[in-house]
Amino acid sequence: MRRLGRAVLLLGVIGFVGGAGVAVWPIGVKIPTDSLESVVGNVDRGAYLARASGCIACHSDFEAGGAPLAGGAPLVTDFGTFYPPNLTTDPDHGMGAWTISDFARAVRQGVSPEGDPYYPTFTYPFYAQFTDQDIADLWAAFKTVPAVSKPSPQHESSFPFDQRWGLKLWRAAYLSEPDTSPENGRSEAWNRGKWLVRGAAHCGACHTDRNFAGARIATRIFAGNDSLPGGKRAPSILPSDLKTGGWDVDNLVYALRTGITPEGDVFGGSMAEVVNYGTAFLSDADLTAMATYIMDNDLSGN
Amino acid sequence: MKAKFWMTTLLASSVGLAALAHSGATGVMKERMDAMDEMGEAMKRLTPMMRGQTEYDPDVVRSAAETMIGHAGAQMTELFPEGSNGKPSEALDAIWEDWEEFAALAEALRTSAEGMKLAADNGLAGPGDMPGGGMMGSGQTMMGGNQGIMGTAQGMMGAPAQMMSTEMLAEMPVNAGFMAVTHTCSACHQKFRAEEN
Repeated sequence: MRRLGRAVLLLGVIGFVGGAGVAVWPIGVKIPTDSLESVVGNVDRGAYLARASGCIACHSDFEAGGAPLAGGAPLVTDFGTFYPPNLTTDPDHGMGAWTISDFARAVRQGVSPEGDPYYPTFTYPFYAQFTDQDIADLWAAFKTVPAVSKPSPQHESSFPFDQRWGLKLWRAAYLSEPDTSPENGRSEAWNRGKWLVRGAAHCGACHTDRNFAGARIATRIFAGNDSLPGGKRAPSILPSDLKTGGWDVDNLVYALRTGITPEGDVFGGSMAEVVNYGTAFLSDADLTAMATYIMDNDLSGN
Repeated sequence: MKAKFWMTTLLASSVGLAALAHSGATGVMKERMDAMDEMGEAMKRLTPMMRGQTEYDPDVVRSAAETMIGHAGAQMTELFPEGSNGKPSEALDAIWEDWEEFAALAEALRTSAEGMKLAADNGLAGPGDMPGGGMMGSGQTMMGGNQGIMGTAQGMMGAPAQMMSTEMLAEMPVNAGFMAVTHTCSACHQKFRAEEN
């Protein structure tokens, strides 16, 4: 019923705007290749950023014995089932035939080399502030990934969500750049933490409620989400809630490293993946920065 | 009947937050939740010691390991008879769909906890020698040079099946056994437990 409601609403919006025009409405900005190609990428920095950004966790299906970045486990959502695609260097089924500007546009703008919008299951809105250097580093790292000649399954979504041009409306309505900018009067660690937590590490992708259209509700940032893909849930990570739950900077750093919580529990579900394939590999300084920001910020759930 | 209910409630609330989330369970469901709580308490005792925040005591390690061994393998799996899911249980259907892996992880808990127990007298690794223990040197978590995107991570990927045997763990600093236990918990929770909160 909820789903039907969404469909009706979306169709209504489409009717209002005039569907045909939307289909050819160009999105994203073509990036001049020259400016990016002159930036020298660093493989190690890129690999580290790929870890921090969850590329490896989401685009690999280790559970099913899949190769790294050869395509992730399906995400079952109210809008359909989405398959994180193959990001290896295979020219036909991965990114082997892409240019760095294709890659930059995909990561920062969520637009494919063909000009199609990606579904918001891809957390590109969090990467919008990546610098050219970040992109060049990532690209250098991705170019080291062994090719896997395996096509990514087609996303399974039913009408109207299978109409990719509908996502252009979604972008117009909901897409906004993440607030990762440093704040005066805060420590370097805190600002680094903000950059990671609000940007690359995209904690808010799971720990924030989404509206009927699957867009994050800005005022509910970090207040938790009860309807994640696969019927999973993410708790609030607002400072006040975490403090009530016995968390502090020290034990949060430890949990992001090992999965062990101050209650003596060990993370399960998606958070186990986040730790095991992501945060466990980050430096002490970065984990401390993230925890510093998470435990002390001005966000509050409504 | 009513008195018993209140007794149970009182008992549950006195054991703390974890027990609260588990209240309402009966029978085998309650039994396994209690077992998990006991292991959680053991982890809570071990963690500050493994981090070097409290004084190291091999007896605490041995007794915590005993707790885990007592709930591992068949002792674990027999608490999950088919059909024993549903509220308030956090057990996922995947347990019965992939029983072999579930049972293997229950067994891995035994081998890793036994390794930790045998390593109790070896003491802790130096700072930075072992992920998760001590102070964590940042070196080993950064991507190694020229290794490509997977960096030094390769060994950490996938299920803990490739984790070390009891005999290997017995020869290593105790942190290794502790991390092996943690990885087993994590692997099982990742696949077979519903997320809470």
